[in-house]
Amino acid sequence: MKQRDLELLSSYLDGQLSSSDAARLEARLRTDPEMRSVLQDLRSTRSLLRQLPMRKAPRNFTLTPQMVGKNPPLPRSYPVFRFAATLASILLFFTLGLNMLGRQMASPMPAYGMGGGGAPDTFTLESAPATEPPAAAAQAPAATEAPALQAPSAAMAPQPTATALVANSDRSMQTAVAKEPGTVNPAGSGQAEQPPQVLAQPQPQPAETKVVSPVWQWLLAGIALICLFIMALMRQLSVNRWRSKS
Amino acid sequence: MNEQALIQDAQKGDLDAFNTLILHYQDSVFNTALRILGDDDLAADVTQDAFISAFKSIGSFRGGSFKAWLMRTVTNACYDELRRQKRRPTTPLEPDTEEGEEMDSPRWLADPGMTPDQKAEADELEHAIQHCLNNLPLEFKTVVVMADLQGMDYTEVAVAARVPLGTIKSRLARARLRLRECLQGFSELLPSVFRLEEESTA
Repeated sequence: MKQRDLELLSSYLDGQLSSSDAARLEARLRTDPEMRSVLQDLRSTRSLLRQLPMRKAPRNFTLTPQMVGKNPPLPRSYPVFRFAATLASILLFFTLGLNMLGRQMASPMPAYGMGGGGAPDTFTLESAPATEPPAAAAQAPAATEAPALQAPSAAMAPQPTATALVANSDRSMQTAVAKEPGTVNPAGSGQAEQPPQVLAQPQPQPAETKVVSPVWQWLLAGIALICLFIMALMRQLSVNRWRSKS
Repeated sequence: MNEQALIQDAQKGDLDAFNTLILHYQDSVFNTALRILGDDDLAADVTQDAFISAFKSIGSFRGGSFKAWLMRTVTNACYDELRRQKRRPTTPLEPDTEEGEEMDSPRWLADPGMTPDQKAEADELEHAIQHCLNNLPLEFKTVVVMADLQGMDYTEVAVAARVPLGTIKSRLARARLRLRECLQGFSELLPSVFRLEEESTA
């Protein structure tokens, strides 16, 4: 039998033919025993299939929130803690970055030709004259010794203080003058010390240069950690409550 | 059951509404998966996966026959399972009986009213039909399961199978003929069923 006739018979069986097509087919069926036989086969097969009872589902296939990936409802204050933790973390990293930047900017500079700098707080008494350029320092009463002291030879140290300063500078460029305020020449307003100061200028201590106090950093870290802990606790309690309900 | 209202609620994320729909359709969906896959456990797993997938994609339902939409989901899940099996063939954990039959006897929806003889006959009929279904190409099997076992009309089957109406007619006709040829081999085992059929058509 042709495939086309088979389809016609099957559609006719299901009432899927138009009235005109059905009439034409019925006319053929009256004269074609093979077509009638095939139609009968199709009818009995369909009937047999329809007799098969439906099986009952072995269990309920209803879904739980976990199955579909639904998240448990969180308390309203959860976003607040999340925001606080995020903000604290950002500020903490920002302050760390600032301190690092400050340390880099305060890194040791070459001492030669530089009449100032160093630890500002250590030069409160002597900073004024110390920051003056050598040419200005030469105008002071003790300026007669200054040129000599400013001679290229750093070993020339007519002043005992200068010697001490030079000696100190040999030990530590960072602590020479800052820790020896007594080395200031009372007669000369520290001008005689300038050349040695130039050589023995205390070097800045990067470790002490902080833009933001460590207290703030600890505070921010603490806030971030506490907020994260509270968020984790909230989430766990919500999940437990949600699971107990479902 | 107001199906449209339940569908709308489910589309808004109401899981309870969708579960109500599941309870209404789970037998049909399970039976479809069972007839396509031919295995109870696989059919149960695929049915569960199909419902999960259906809930997640229920936003894509744009009206029409919800049953056809569900059937499309479960047939896709069946195809995925069969493809997975082809890549990684598995052996069942529980051995069959000596006769090769399943360990658990099937429970029929008409269970309360069935006599033992009727139940035995139903079991034999199921075995015969499932055997013949298993011999059909997948696309033929899907069409005949939805049209003749689930009672869906041609349009619903076309929507579920995502093929044109003409293709449905062609596949259904050829599937029925093949099934008939196969089932004739079981006529000795199912004399009463076939006899009744012949008497009714005489």
